[in-house]
Amino acid sequence: MESKLAPIRKGLLEFLVLRIVGGRSVYVPDILRRLAETEFATQEGTLYPLLSKLRREELVQYEWQESDVGPPRKYYRLTEAGKAQLAALDDYWNRLNRTISEIGH
Amino acid sequence: MQRISVTASLGRSTLQFDEAAYARLESYLAEAARTLAGSPDQAEILADLEQAIADQCSKRMQAGLGLVTVAQLQPALDEIGSVQLPGSAPEREAQPARQLQQVSEGALISGVCNGFARYFGVDVTLVRVMAVVLLFASGGTMILVYLALMLLLPYAPSTRGGAPIRKIPAKSRQLAESVRAKFSAATT
Repeated sequence: MESKLAPIRKGLLEFLVLRIVGGRSVYVPDILRRLAETEFATQEGTLYPLLSKLRREELVQYEWQESDVGPPRKYYRLTEAGKAQLAALDDYWNRLNRTISEIGH
Repeated sequence: MQRISVTASLGRSTLQFDEAAYARLESYLAEAARTLAGSPDQAEILADLEQAIADQCSKRMQAGLGLVTVAQLQPALDEIGSVQLPGSAPEREAQPARQLQQVSEGALISGVCNGFARYFGVDVTLVRVMAVVLLFASGGTMILVYLALMLLLPYAPSTRGGAPIRKIPAKSRQLAESVRAKFSAATT
């Protein structure tokens, strides 16, 4: 069973990251904390490459912000294209949910 | 004299590592660089990871102790995890090296033409036609070449599993069996 669920989670991770970044500008430890409470718990080794991909697709952008402790941090937020993509994904997710709950009953 | 620490700049931080920790750090980053080879974001991701390692190590440092050891580095690396490219396809199984073999399944004689067809990815009929044309063009020398190939080329493993089976034509088998039967009848 787990082997069938893992690819689903993997595919949805990008969607979840967009949702988390969509709320407000966040930095990576924020994203990891939000995910850590869920079955989507993720490590930096996975998240940084994903964020770089999203940035290359111009769905997210980041800016450096000074920190009280330690070096400046990268804060990520959605671009306009990212917001549009997130809205489309939300929409699709709702349709998918309806389909799944209606079918087979 | 012994070198006891290496100063490394990681992202925007600078940390002191002992030799063992530094070696571990180097191998982690080399592995990450290999995974990211060819990615247009390689440099950026590596810089992000370096900063993450520096942050994780600083968090684990005992106050007043300036040297990162494996005791701090290893849990930091474990928490960061190995680098995974998004949406990367599961690694393909290594393809065995392509080898010219005889394929006895569906063979007319021994499977040499069949093997050539599989090797070059063409229709076996085409190979057979070419073999016959060459046979006449070479004035019969091709027979020797065919025999040589038949003896030298290994058999491809059967796709139905098990060891490759050399098909013995039914008639020869019947003949062999009847000879054996007669022989045993005559000797008893």
